[in-house]
Amino acid sequence: MGRLENRIALVTGAGQGIGRAIALAMAREGAALVIGDLNETNASAVKKEIEGLGGKASALHADISNEESVQAMVEAALKEHGRVDILVNNAGIFPTSPVEEMAEEEWDRVIGTNLVGTFLCSKAVVPQLLAQRFGRIISLTSGRAFHGARNGAHYAASKAGIIGFSKSLALELAPHAITVNVICPGITDTAQPRGHQSEEQIYAQGQRIPLGRIGQPEDLAGPAVFLASDAARFITGQTILVNGGGIMW
Amino acid sequence: MATKVAIVNGGAGGIGRAVTRRLGEAGYAIFILDKNQQAGSETVEQLRQQGCQAEYRAVELTKAAELKNVFGEIHREAGRIDLLVNLAGGTLHKHPIQEFPVSEWRDVIDVNLKATFLCCQAVCKPMRERKAGVIINTSSNFGITGGAGRTAYAASKAAVIAFTKSLALEMAPHGVRVNAIAPGLTATARVMGSYNETEWRRLGQSLPMGRAAEPSEIAEAVGFLASEESGYVTGQTIHVNGGMIFN
Repeated sequence: MGRLENRIALVTGAGQGIGRAIALAMAREGAALVIGDLNETNASAVKKEIEGLGGKASALHADISNEESVQAMVEAALKEHGRVDILVNNAGIFPTSPVEEMAEEEWDRVIGTNLVGTFLCSKAVVPQLLAQRFGRIISLTSGRAFHGARNGAHYAASKAGIIGFSKSLALELAPHAITVNVICPGITDTAQPRGHQSEEQIYAQGQRIPLGRIGQPEDLAGPAVFLASDAARFITGQTILVNGGGIMW
Repeated sequence: MATKVAIVNGGAGGIGRAVTRRLGEAGYAIFILDKNQQAGSETVEQLRQQGCQAEYRAVELTKAAELKNVFGEIHREAGRIDLLVNLAGGTLHKHPIQEFPVSEWRDVIDVNLKATFLCCQAVCKPMRERKAGVIINTSSNFGITGGAGRTAYAASKAAVIAFTKSLALEMAPHGVRVNAIAPGLTATARVMGSYNETEWRRLGQSLPMGRAAEPSEIAEAVGFLASEESGYVTGQTIHVNGGMIFN
């Protein structure tokens, strides 16, 4: 019996990378998945992968920066499954510019997607979680939240914002047996670092990490399943660093 | 103009007045940006009586174009910008998440985070060109601990910390330092006004040092970060909170 049997999990940005790995792992543990993604082709591909594993999944188009789109996604998930137990706020964007040249529009887009999007998705599921008196919200931050990011001040700000947001929401929802936690990857083998680093540079960073390699998307799946499971029922408001021992401060 | 020039947004608020007084003592000519015109003018008057050069500018801090103009004018008029202190902001709205209007949530992020970004952006060039400058942003203990009802405020203040680190990395090669202060409970009129006397005393007693911070104590941290004493400090957040310790 899987650890997430009969649970309904909604994972944003699950069409690729870390979101996809988390969705697949939750499906293997028995959860039915709702794949929310801006890219419907990717979302459908992951849905098929999950069905190939013998799991249940639906794919939805969603733009987490848009309130109506988020509402529609959650309503569609509720219509199909009758409940939502787990929300994984994974979708995010990561353009780069130095602050000095950063267009206001780019700043707004990054904050509006990564941070406000996390808020919008969380807010949209909270009434259902309260009604169920059960729920798990798991949001993805980044080591950049701690270290800062040259040419990614908006990204670092949005990701640190997610931590402050999650602690607050954890306090609000703690009386209702709903936990809110954060997972913090270090550099991970996804599209994210590829915008601004060569393949060699990306893998070379593994040498500086105590475990000797950069993270794989699957490395994040275990912690996500754990936080979603009953075993983690007394953990809330926490940020779990999954970074191969890279120190963050 | 040889005098050092400081721009302080939110400079007429409770902490702002203490900070501008402290900077005045350190010899800065001060430009106060504040939305409260009356408080702004009063603060300028007090600073002038103290013997400082001070000016008030009304500006909507979340409006990029307006902000750019005001910073441009100050730069032209003063010839230099040595210090930017971003103090403006606040909790603004407190609601449980299920009742938090999205527009209010966005406003909190804009006032605390976006205004900080826009003001920093406006001083980057003049500071880089002089290869000198100091930026001080304002976070909060809530950025670390979170607070029920404060999902927006805590998010914005945690974000200020990471923004500060990022800009510090970008500006370090250009001789510009970027740090943040994070006040805990502070005895300003605005904060005290939201509690009755008993609540306020209890709240203070719940802190390790048994009381709230005085605005002047926050101002001292700003004074330190503005000075050459902290010449090797950048990307850091200094918590001034009477002993709240965070993991």
